[in-house]
Amino acid sequence: MANIAAQRIKREFKEVIRSEEVAKCAIKVELVDNNYTELKGEIAGPPDTPYEGGNFVLEIKVPETYPFNPPKVRFITKIWHPNISSVTGAICLDILKDQWAAAMTLRTVLLSLQALLAAAEPDDPQDAVVARQYKENLEMFKLTARHWTNAYAGGPSVNPECDDKIKRLVDMGIEEHQARVALSSYNWDLERATEQLFS
Amino acid sequence: MLQLLSSKKHIIENILRIYIKTSGNTLCIDIDPKYDIRQIKNIVAPKIGLEPDELKVIFAGKELADNIVIEDCDLGEQSILHVVKVKEKVPKKINDYGMKPLCEILDDSMFSPISESRNNSISVEANDVAHILNNDTDANITSNQQVLVKKIHFYVYCPTCKGLKQGKLRVRCNFCKSGAFTVHSDPQNWTHVLENKQITGTCENDTQFCEDILQNREPTFAEFYFKCSEHISLGENDQAVPLYLIRPNLKQIQCLACLDISYDAVFVFPCQNDHVMCLDCFKQYCMSKLTERQFWQHPEYGYTLACPNGCADSFIKEIHHFRLLDDQNYDRYHRFATEEFVLQSGGLLCPQPGCGMGILADTDCKRITCQGCKYVFCRLCLQGYHIGECGPIENDDLNNQSTSCESELSCNNGNNGEIASRTTIKIMTKPCPSCKTPTERDGGCMHMICTRAGCKFHWCWVCQTEWTTECMGDHWFG
Ligand SMILES: [Zn+2]
Ligand SMILES: [Zn+2]
Ligand SMILES: [Zn+2]
Ligand SMILES: [Zn+2]
Ligand SMILES: [Zn+2]
Ligand SMILES: [Zn+2]
Ligand SMILES: [Zn+2]
Ligand SMILES: [Zn+2]
Repeated sequence: MANIAAQRIKREFKEVIRSEEVAKCAIKVELVDNNYTELKGEIAGPPDTPYEGGNFVLEIKVPETYPFNPPKVRFITKIWHPNISSVTGAICLDILKDQWAAAMTLRTVLLSLQALLAAAEPDDPQDAVVARQYKENLEMFKLTARHWTNAYAGGPSVNPECDDKIKRLVDMGIEEHQARVALSSYNWDLERATEQLFS
Repeated sequence: MLQLLSSKKHIIENILRIYIKTSGNTLCIDIDPKYDIRQIKNIVAPKIGLEPDELKVIFAGKELADNIVIEDCDLGEQSILHVVKVKEKVPKKINDYGMKPLCEILDDSMFSPISESRNNSISVEANDVAHILNNDTDANITSNQQVLVKKIHFYVYCPTCKGLKQGKLRVRCNFCKSGAFTVHSDPQNWTHVLENKQITGTCENDTQFCEDILQNREPTFAEFYFKCSEHISLGENDQAVPLYLIRPNLKQIQCLACLDISYDAVFVFPCQNDHVMCLDCFKQYCMSKLTERQFWQHPEYGYTLACPNGCADSFIKEIHHFRLLDDQNYDRYHRFATEEFVLQSGGLLCPQPGCGMGILADTDCKRITCQGCKYVFCRLCLQGYHIGECGPIENDDLNNQSTSCESELSCNNGNNGEIASRTTIKIMTKPCPSCKTPTERDGGCMHMICTRAGCKFHWCWVCQTEWTTECMGDHWFG
């Protein structure tokens, strides 16, 4: 039986490479193996969002049943976003689940993810902590998301205060990422974060 | 005459054996496919004591004109031509010389799109068939050559050859089932062909009989049916199932799945967008959806699929299209359809790998015995039968998640933190709490959506009950 998934991905791969978005450096895809079953995607953080200036790497796994089922996509780059798990990088996006349609492609997936970064849907969250912050304290959310973009996606440095607080926790013997998660979850309240980490 | 015919055999290169059905009996004659209808009349007339001019030759709903050559008629070995005596009536039209055979008249393009809107525009008067060929709305079909290439192809499932074959469209009287029947107008679309009582005609079999009985009630209608064109006809009851969603890819539409343009037959989904898939991709589509149990038990059509692009109202009505699957997968299709039926009737499936038999059992009883493999199991947890409460699900090396099939277990003893940060998450299955279909979790969150079409129950992997906001807060990721 002909392998439709591989054949299809091969064509789509060419489509993405030639697309204008690639020319503008907005999206990128690379092969991870020669069987076209795993790819590495990259999307640029959209302008005027806390993700601006960052580059987000994605793991794309193509199931044998592609394109009848969606590719399995998750963020490798750690990201602070209501619809993306800050722990696993799992994504909550309808087209990657039951709204998938066989005519969609790698390009549409990458562009949809970029659109998701620009417009979160906090009512259908993948990360409850981030979603709560997004709804209750939007400025705090933006600060945190920008901070994560700086720390993990090569975005511009923004708030030295955050870095200081992380350093304080690291000095206490906490691992840096763990410190960042705790501070982010408690709206950068150093006391509460410390309490949680040492309880 | 017979003498003449047999002596002629030496020079006939291809002999075609056909049957001539007259009002009284059936003659078997061997002819050269290059013969025209006039020559057939000349052969048949003396055998039944009539003049050639008194005969009408009817085939597939059409009276054939004298100058029609047999080989243009899509007439297979051992086909039947109907010969009837001309009524002493004034001809309906001065140029009423009979017609071209149906296969010459039908144009692929009018059958290609399923959309009714495009077909309604063509209205044809009785016998006025010459217009149809030129009536095509597509601008690019003008030259004669193209019209020839565009000869219609029907695809059928042939129960004799057991496979997808090219089919031939045939017509008979819907009342007396006689093939000596002429249509008043040509079918313009699939609805005309597939549905009852769409096209009227004249039954030439026993005109008095059919007309008298039906008089004042309804006209005589044509009944269309299909034959396989790849085996010698086994008689009038040798029919094939029209797989009308399989069409020649005339418009050269790209396959929705592999993005190639197939030059063979393609599968056209019954959706507004006329999405097309090459047959290999269609088979793959069926097989993967079968494995995922994503076929849908439709109340009218049966166990079926819709367009994979999620188009509205796109279910495949004729489930014989799934005969495209190989025997093994078609058996699986049948088994799953039966199982789905059992599930919908409140039954459950045997959890033994490789068995999966549908079981309709008393809902009060926790102890279920599979009649197929004799496995005795617990209705609640689908594990081997046990007395008392269901225990944790046995799972090789990962028994630390205390899971229970009892719904009383609260979400709160969840184990946040540790499990979430664990990098390798073991793939395992648990039954959907609603329909008991084994469901696999492949990492990601604990929010499960049952993969079985028709269930789609949202449930919690940890609690094995319906997904709640508490589950979201307490153990979303583990
Ligand atoms: Zn056959
Ligand atoms: Zn009749
Ligand atoms: Zn294809
Ligand atoms: Zn469609
Ligand atoms: Zn069994
Ligand atoms: Zn049990
Ligand atoms: Zn279910
Ligand atoms: Zn739960």
